[in-house]
Amino acid sequence: MTPTITRTKAEPLIGKRVKRREDPRLITGTATYVDDIQMPGMHHACIIRSPHAAARIRGINVSAAKETPGVVAVFTGEDAKGVGPVPCGASLPGLRVPHHYILALDRVYFAGHPVAVVVATDKYIARDAADLVEVDYEELPAVADPEKAIAEGAPAVHPEWPDNVAFNFHQEGGDVNQAFAEAEVVLKQRITSQRLIPTPMETRGVVAEWKSGDKSLTVYSSTQIPHLLRTLLAGMLGLPEHKTRVVTPEVGGGFGCKLNVYAEEALMGFVAMKIGKPVKWIESRRENYLCTIHGRGHVDYFEIAAKRDGTILGLKLKLIQDLGAYHQLLTPAIPTLSVLMMPGLYRFRNISADIVGAFTNCVPTDAYRGAGRPEATHGIERMVDILAAELNMDPAEIRMKNFIKPDEFPFATATGLTYDSGEYDKPLRHALEVAGYQKLRAEQAQARTDGRLMGIGLSTYGEICAFGPSPATPAGGWESATVKIEPSGKVTVMTGASPHGQGEETTFAQIAADELGVDIDDVVVLHGDTAVVQYGIGTFGSRGTAVGGPALYYALQELKVKIKKFGAMLLDSDDVSFEDGVCTCNHSGRTCTLAEVSGAAHRAMKLPPDTPPGMQATYFWEPPNFTFPFGAHLVVTEVDRDTGQIQIKRYVAVDDCGRIINPMIVDGQVHGGVAQGLGQALYEQAVYDENGQLLSGELTDYAIPKATMMPWIESAHTETPSPVNPLGVKGVGEAGTIGCSPAVVNSVVDALSGLGVRHLDMPLTPEKIWAVIQKGGQA
Amino acid sequence: MKISGSHTVALGKERAYEVLQDPAILARCIPGCESLDRIGDDEYQMRMKMVLAAVSGQFAGKVRIADQSPCDSFRLIVEGSGKAGFMKGEGLLRLSGIEEGTQVDFDGDVQVGGTIASVGQRLIDATAKLMIKRFFAKLADSAVE
Repeated sequence: MTPTITRTKAEPLIGKRVKRREDPRLITGTATYVDDIQMPGMHHACIIRSPHAAARIRGINVSAAKETPGVVAVFTGEDAKGVGPVPCGASLPGLRVPHHYILALDRVYFAGHPVAVVVATDKYIARDAADLVEVDYEELPAVADPEKAIAEGAPAVHPEWPDNVAFNFHQEGGDVNQAFAEAEVVLKQRITSQRLIPTPMETRGVVAEWKSGDKSLTVYSSTQIPHLLRTLLAGMLGLPEHKTRVVTPEVGGGFGCKLNVYAEEALMGFVAMKIGKPVKWIESRRENYLCTIHGRGHVDYFEIAAKRDGTILGLKLKLIQDLGAYHQLLTPAIPTLSVLMMPGLYRFRNISADIVGAFTNCVPTDAYRGAGRPEATHGIERMVDILAAELNMDPAEIRMKNFIKPDEFPFATATGLTYDSGEYDKPLRHALEVAGYQKLRAEQAQARTDGRLMGIGLSTYGEICAFGPSPATPAGGWESATVKIEPSGKVTVMTGASPHGQGEETTFAQIAADELGVDIDDVVVLHGDTAVVQYGIGTFGSRGTAVGGPALYYALQELKVKIKKFGAMLLDSDDVSFEDGVCTCNHSGRTCTLAEVSGAAHRAMKLPPDTPPGMQATYFWEPPNFTFPFGAHLVVTEVDRDTGQIQIKRYVAVDDCGRIINPMIVDGQVHGGVAQGLGQALYEQAVYDENGQLLSGELTDYAIPKATMMPWIESAHTETPSPVNPLGVKGVGEAGTIGCSPAVVNSVVDALSGLGVRHLDMPLTPEKIWAVIQKGGQA
Repeated sequence: MKISGSHTVALGKERAYEVLQDPAILARCIPGCESLDRIGDDEYQMRMKMVLAAVSGQFAGKVRIADQSPCDSFRLIVEGSGKAGFMKGEGLLRLSGIEEGTQVDFDGDVQVGGTIASVGQRLIDATAKLMIKRFFAKLADSAVE
């Protein structure tokens, strides 16, 4: 058995590889997901969805379905049109927001668009009856490609906006025209970041329960944002917020796709209220691929200006974002994050960006692990490599030359951010050293002589994490924590961040155990139930620990003040210290335990002056800034000339996410992030045909990386604490994804550079690489 | 999606042209065909069962024959939908007399949507070719009777 990791005064739990306390229930199949919820009288819903990407609904005949024994109701868009629209939380100047009914009214806008719902006593009856609903569609022309959508003469996704432009957004900093005028080298490249399907292992699912007696609704949903969901659902359904409860059981992966408010969540609330019974809907994998948001969907036109010595002067970007047919919660905001991230880790301060948000007859895009930042980093890191190749410079050298230097922090970027702290050369130097860079280059030269295609690719990425200061977020960017010390001295932590795989049940217990000097087993972390936990924002944008952690830290500090007051009372002292779970009188050396203190605070026979009974503190923490983690990934690949197959020979990831609370969890986050980055770089693509039919609509046709496709990741860390919060943490949830794809593509382009290859768009499938090799390097 | 190919029928050109437009024979030869009823001049209503990868289901649709150039060519326009999605297709069939009988060349365009597109698209080409092959095999048997 592994010895239990314990805390001592000299060795706190923070920084230790404490095993995740969440895992025993997850790996033994005893966790409760939405689909595990059973209720007496529970009904089941099946949703009828449009097979067309664009069509008018001429009529819906539900009579055969309604007559099926076991079916209690069938609802169409006409029935549900009183429910408020699916909300878009992002606002941009001039943004066009289509009214997003929870069930299509008279027109469908994408394949998979919900049209009607059948409710039955049994899920199989519901499914069979759904086949009996007859929808008469008049098919309309559709457009699925964002560049075609905004071209002259394309079919209008929404007839009221025939140009298919949802918004235009411009941002600039410095003097980009002067930078380009002064440049000795200007290079252009079109770079795409394909549509991806987030693919959580657990699809979405909702159970809704209406208690007619007290007119209250409880919604169980696999979501990342229980409190925001409650606020918005209450609004959609016209319910008072305090009579609406959202419970988030175990969430089997979110990755941003559950950072949303979906039509089905409100629809189940609507159904439960109509039938007066609990109702369950579990999304099938096919529905998940068709109807849950997709990620990325960029076409980027980059231009970089530089001097011949490699100094980058400026960067221009024209970004076409495939929005899909509607705005989900954050859809239009995602590409603006790409623009914020454009400077990367480099010192240049001249930037200009134009975004065109394009409507298409596809499922909406929204946040997917990294949300805007992988796209930006991929573009910048590709452009830096393209520049290095043009100037015949080493890609490591050109990066070192342009990095912001440690003494320049806090660093104001051309996009209006203030980078908190960084030593950008450190992870790069570390990665080069671990990989044996010079030796690798020598091996590469030898491989070329032998006729083998070996490549070495780098990416030095930056991130915006800890979303975020409230003025910069659509719904408040703070986070909350409550700490309760029970009368027995046991500790209950309630976090408003709703962790769903990030391990905060462990890391927050480490923080609380260290601060209170108790054993980790004496701390429990609760989350994800709006009736239990104080209002919180949720987990996304690498904010759980970076914003929720400090909230917890400050709640603990408040509590420690109270502990000392009761300790002083019990010890009859005017000078006590509290350490290692014990109050000590600094005069007499007499002590009392936390359990004694908490017992006295709850029994309240006597109270310290001006001190109420009880032992509980709640803190809402507003972060003064984002945090800015960074790192360097180095990837060695070998490309098979005959098959186009790419083999990853080495993967070195050096990430700096500030202070590390649990290295095992940080490594896990990096591994998962790299897996999803590799998915984008090598395998995955959501493919729509020209009529808006999703062709990659199942796991058989959509290639997510399997365990056997993963390389060994040589993971290391540097630790540059963030000055933004008292824990010094920065966030690591998205780092692996952001750092990965440019390093892989840079490596493969490097391998093929001898053939004259300068750029390749993802995914780098063997078929694509083979064709490039066959054509002698022409992409 | 383009579908094209060519098959040989052991019949004279005139007989082949006739057989290829005979609803009774077609109903017997189209794999999965459950009914084929005439609803107008050169227009038929059809019900068929189709299996594609993990998806199977009934399709109801219309078949129309157009641009007839007797014994040489005609155009087939098919439209069908079912719970598993929908399909639309149009193709030109050209007949030419050869030593073994008649060679039928076809050249068409098929569009599918719904579940059959999102789940089975990789197999549509192969499935269509297989169905056409079976059709001609059966046709050879039926026509000889």
